Amino acid sequence: MKTRTTFDQTLSELKQEILRMGFHVEEAIYRAVESMAKQDVNMAQSVIDGDVLIDNLELEIEDLCMKLIATQQPMAKDLRRIAVGLKIITDLERMADYSCGIAKITKRLVGQPLIKPLIDIPRMAQLAQKMVKESLDAYVREDVGLAANLATDDKQVDSLHSQVFRELLVLMMENPKTINQATSLLFASRYLERIADHATNIGERVIYLVTGKREVLND
Amino acid sequence: MTSTKISVQSLNLYYKDFQALKNVNLEVEENQVTALIGPSGCGKSTFLRTLNRMNDLIEGVRVDGVILLDGRDIYRPDVDVVNLRKKVGMVFQRPNPFPMSVYDNVAYGPRIHGEKNKRKLDEIVEKSLRAAVLWDEVQDRLYKSALGLSGGQQQRVCIARLLAVEPEVLLMDEPTSALDPLATLRIEELIQVLRNDYTIVIVTHNMQQAARVSGVTAFFLNGDLIEYGNTDVIFTRPADQRTEDYITGRFG
Repeated sequence: MKTRTTFDQTLSELKQEILRMGFHVEEAIYRAVESMAKQDVNMAQSVIDGDVLIDNLELEIEDLCMKLIATQQPMAKDLRRIAVGLKIITDLERMADYSCGIAKITKRLVGQPLIKPLIDIPRMAQLAQKMVKESLDAYVREDVGLAANLATDDKQVDSLHSQVFRELLVLMMENPKTINQATSLLFASRYLERIADHATNIGERVIYLVTGKREVLND
Repeated sequence: MTSTKISVQSLNLYYKDFQALKNVNLEVEENQVTALIGPSGCGKSTFLRTLNRMNDLIEGVRVDGVILLDGRDIYRPDVDVVNLRKKVGMVFQRPNPFPMSVYDNVAYGPRIHGEKNKRKLDEIVEKSLRAAVLWDEVQDRLYKSALGLSGGQQQRVCIARLLAVEPEVLLMDEPTSALDPLATLRIEELIQVLRNDYTIVIVTHNMQQAARVSGVTAFFLNGDLIEYGNTDVIFTRPADQRTEDYITGRFG
């Protein structure tokens, strides 16, 4: 006999909502970096304007989680599912803030020729975006293997970040006039590196959700 | 440091041909609240009743295995069952005060154990009612019938009656199932107070209650003890899928 049909439906609704929020975040990361590479102010502005939508989604999902806890008395894995959901949306919301940060940098740099072609930063963005998607797939499918794989991508993002850092440092030493833009780009790189870290947080939560055990994916 | 109050070893119980408990092994910790959970007919109440030999009263019951209370087997033939039940008292599902005054209810146990001194009895009654967090509510109606009290108060009279004979272990068989939410919370608060001085084993169908009041939870299914451990672990990450299915309400 199947019990708790309504509860199960709402739980899967929760997952769908988190996926929807994640989709907007992926989009924000992509558009933020794309706007930077193309120096497209309108696109950058659309990322900044879209942030409120993500903030609202976070609050909606938080309310849904609270409602489930208050009305359904979730236990064991159900409880972990909901608690993990609450943590995930905080990570997602922060990723969106970092995307906004990148979009703001785009606006600040507009009209200045780039001191170097953007290669590594878009690669970091691509990886970060993939990590967000995979971390959420792992959550929805409760797939520990997929979650654990995030550690590999995170290492790659970290090493790209150090590479960007070294390059920009050299540029700044050669020509102090680049310092203004170089520090901005450095921030953008740092934001992407942080986004990837938040994706590993999600992965760690997924592992906890499925196994009840704590693991570190980001060291 | 926790120490074992009751040690249950390889306990089997049969109602005629039906085996109601299957090789149960469990240590009940001293000054701890142990909750027994499981679906109806899983053996949890039967198990509770083995701890003060209440099953002896049911015809056709056969018990084998060992139950040690403070290291001594309670099923040895020379054990004085009345004395055992004084040490290991029980609270039932429905409040069952005797049809007499609050005072006489609480003094009942000490009197049959031979206490006649009026001052001494007054003392015991007050102390027990205070311990059951009922004194303030009944002190000016001690000599009126206990049956006139609310359900929650009646249940606390029963607990006070139990405490009056200075037990060491309190067995509670769904002690709040007949009470409203507020009275239920009062009893739950009381359990928290009592655990400092007594070892408590409680059977409950209310999973949230088990989660709220107990430190250790044991899950029974079809006469088997499936899993037992710290309550927070059982309710957040149980080891056995059957426990998970039961506590998340996805049984069967």
